[in-house]
Amino acid sequence: MWTWFHRLGSPKWFYEISGRWLPWLTAAMLLFLAVGVVWALLFVPQDYQQGLTNRIMYVHVPVASISLAFFPMMAVAGTVSLVWKMKLADMVVKVAAPLGAWFTALALASGSIWGIDTWGTWWVWDGRLTSLLLQFFLLIGMISLRSALEDGDAAAKACALFSIVGSINVVVIKYSVDWWNTLHQPATNFTADPSQPNGPEIWVPLLLMVIAVYLFFIISVILSTRNEILYRERRAQWVEELVSQS
Amino acid sequence: MMKPHRRKRLGIILFIAAGLSVAIGLTLFALSQNIDLFFTPTQVAQGEVNPGDRVRIGGMVREGSVESAQDSLQVRFATTDYVHDVDVYYEGILPDLFREGQGVVVEGSIDPNGVFQASRVLAKHDENYMSPEVKAALDAAGASADNHPMQPES
Repeated sequence: MWTWFHRLGSPKWFYEISGRWLPWLTAAMLLFLAVGVVWALLFVPQDYQQGLTNRIMYVHVPVASISLAFFPMMAVAGTVSLVWKMKLADMVVKVAAPLGAWFTALALASGSIWGIDTWGTWWVWDGRLTSLLLQFFLLIGMISLRSALEDGDAAAKACALFSIVGSINVVVIKYSVDWWNTLHQPATNFTADPSQPNGPEIWVPLLLMVIAVYLFFIISVILSTRNEILYRERRAQWVEELVSQS
Repeated sequence: MMKPHRRKRLGIILFIAAGLSVAIGLTLFALSQNIDLFFTPTQVAQGEVNPGDRVRIGGMVREGSVESAQDSLQVRFATTDYVHDVDVYYEGILPDLFREGQGVVVEGSIDPNGVFQASRVLAKHDENYMSPEVKAALDAAGASADNHPMQPES
């Protein structure tokens, strides 16, 4: 296990292996996305209360759930970067921040569109919405922190600590709907029983969409990490060979 | 395995993270009342809301309580947590999801007569999604009769 872990420290090794994964990941994502989108937008039954509006769920829930994955991921990578000084881990922390900000913005926007149609307002300062907006600002702050520090090592340390501390907010976002009363609904409990609310006809297409967006998230992180590898290792011989070949 | 200086560094990180979690947890615990979006009708009945204060109240729209004017947008209804009621007066466009037996959050203040003068009405929806067929079958079985998402917690 430790040899595998130490091999991960080699950006060259990661660049090569991720290049082999990408076509498979992309194919799987397109498959899940195609089936999921068609199913969710055309065949999911209308909701007894919201009619067609609840189909926004099939965009909002995947995007929002993945926006919560960024800080824990950056915290793990940040810890690795702090403790083992692994360059690759810091690259992941760096590229994840703007991606996370985009996903958080999409979650807020899709939620707002859903909100105006069901709640009757774009925005309300309840626990869930406010804590997610805080996550957006934390990510913007992290991007600024990175670009403000010119010394790469100092930036890596600061951003790693920032991501560990920021992860606490994910717990707040997750449980905000249970700890306080909010306009946002609490988490839905899905069931395998088709005669009950939240049955398979609702959640199977949602699961497909969540998998599709998760794959998209993984692909995005890999692609931007590869970009970052090429940039940081631009003086390494293997990168020069790679560039001269293309 | 892990070298001692790395183990020490990991220890420091874990210590900082744990310390901050406790600090933030305690802060949120102290603030918990202020982070709530709305008061419940029971809290209003217990006198936690002063007349004239701008507040939000959340509850269900009591079945059979909605009276809307024929020639204007004026509407009266009672919002309830099935323990206490608050009478609400509102003039304006209601959200599509507004209906009897559904959750609402109303923003405004209590007038001297004890009626809540709402300047905004928001619809709250619960966490249950189903097709009209499933709903009809459940209603026929009487299974969703006790399904009130905004029952007071204590």
